[in-house]
Amino acid sequence: MGKVLMKGNEAMALAAIKGGCDAFFGYPITPQNEIPEYLSYHMVKEGRVFVQAESEVAAINMVYGAAGAGARVLTSSSSPGIALKQEGISYLAGAELPCVIISVMRGGPGLGGIQPSQGDYNQITRGGGNGDYHLLAFAPESLQETVDIVKQSFDLADYYRNPVIIAVDGLIGQMMEPVEIDKEVPKKTLQAKDWAADGHSGERGKRNTIVSLHLDAYDLERHNLKLKAKYDEMIQNEQRYELINIDQAEVVIVAYGTMARVARSAIAALKEEGINVGMIRPISIWPFPRKAFKQLPDTVHTLLTVEMSLGQMNQDVHLANNGRLNVEFYGRAGGVVPETQEIVDAVKKIVKGRNQ
Amino acid sequence: MKRITILTGHYGSGKSEIAVNLALKKSLNTLVDLDIINPYFRSRSISTFLKENGIDVIESTIENASGSDLPFISSKGSRPFVNKDLKAVYDLGGTRHGAKLMKQFDAFIKNLDEIDVLMVVNIYREETDSVAKILATIDDLEAASQLRITGLINNTNLMDFTDESVIRAGENILKEVSKKKDIPIKYTCVEEHVKATGDFLGERLSLRRYLAEKTLGIGGHYGKR
Repeated sequence: MGKVLMKGNEAMALAAIKGGCDAFFGYPITPQNEIPEYLSYHMVKEGRVFVQAESEVAAINMVYGAAGAGARVLTSSSSPGIALKQEGISYLAGAELPCVIISVMRGGPGLGGIQPSQGDYNQITRGGGNGDYHLLAFAPESLQETVDIVKQSFDLADYYRNPVIIAVDGLIGQMMEPVEIDKEVPKKTLQAKDWAADGHSGERGKRNTIVSLHLDAYDLERHNLKLKAKYDEMIQNEQRYELINIDQAEVVIVAYGTMARVARSAIAALKEEGINVGMIRPISIWPFPRKAFKQLPDTVHTLLTVEMSLGQMNQDVHLANNGRLNVEFYGRAGGVVPETQEIVDAVKKIVKGRNQ
Repeated sequence: MKRITILTGHYGSGKSEIAVNLALKKSLNTLVDLDIINPYFRSRSISTFLKENGIDVIESTIENASGSDLPFISSKGSRPFVNKDLKAVYDLGGTRHGAKLMKQFDAFIKNLDEIDVLMVVNIYREETDSVAKILATIDDLEAASQLRITGLINNTNLMDFTDESVIRAGENILKEVSKKKDIPIKYTCVEEHVKATGDFLGERLSLRRYLAEKTLGIGGHYGKR
């Protein structure tokens, strides 16, 4: 299969099938509805499982059950729906169950709106569930990158025995773009799921239980430290980012997802006016790509974080920067997408202020 | 060109971008956006720009709730069938669910001679990648809208990866559909950046992606360039 033209949500759904997804459990919400719509037809055609649950809470607990039985499981939702799933996500992380979650972000808080947003950065990277846990979180910018990451995520989830979340703003879910679905992606060497409660205890001679309850404090702490070792491995191995035009740059934009695409337009426009601007584009948002910030040349004096929120990733930018460079922020919220000119103006304001 | 053009097709076939381009290039004065399928990239998202260019946009959105995806249809949608001064293009939502909205205008549609119902096809969309699938889609859309499709628009493209051979691949499939259904290919869309000098069937419609550009600037183009 060569390139085809797909809508983001459809492409993510097909990528999940190609990534070996055995079962989907979800509940409808705009702007991600084409994911369950597509899977409702194609999963059944492939002889796999599709369930439209009675709620998001039910869906995430079905994910827990199926993942516990050793299946490759997907759920998808949008902001308030992901909020409802937080308890289940914490349980999945606690019980070390692999699963893939797609979050197509819209404006909030509360019911908010249905236009695109990046206002769930904190929800995704800090988690709304309880306890010391992290999700491996990716935030791609194009449909090809999204498809590749969705496919890999099933492997990564199994490898780390941890939920993986792919966070895109609504625009990526809704936009059309050519994609090559069968493009090769890196694979992990995986162990058999000998921990799964898969109904084969007789053959195994031992009963597997899936649980996140540890009543003894020392026992729970040992479990916490075991989880931490996995998170440390992720921080070591899974930081993903792209550096764009950073040589000679005086200002470096930090932006992900759709914002990175608009920033590309701004960088091209500023170049024509003789202003050198680069970009750090985080592809993983947890772990946050701190490594990228160490690679900036001395020409850079300012980092400009641009988000479709009022400054959530900006906190991570401050931490990664650790006081070295000046940090500025530009963002719009509620479903408003900053246009190219707004970013151009924000950069010019920085450059002008510096030259005065 | 007939006084009224109704655009139908699968979602993601390119109806909205074509509606905007037709309205601007053919000096139409009305664009009726009846998309209740898509929450984003709808022609109404550039209605201010269109109004500046003398095009009245009839939107199926509740006032002050432009971001809603409620299946609300403006009653003004019937105006072009009644008012002969209006030169209009209808932008329907994708699939049969978008097409069936036309049914409610039955009572107003008196003269079919002044209406073209055109199906937009891109063969790089999974649902319309063969003659058989396109024929089935035509039947489906006609059943839902209760309107006969009178022509085809070849909008075969892979966005920034489009070249002449891509458009030609669509043309070859649509030629067969055209013969089987005895309906013409009315337009072939060629995006402005595409280097394609050859002649294509029907009128060549030079296309600019206003809706994608509005949101993403040149970042809306992603790929080869």
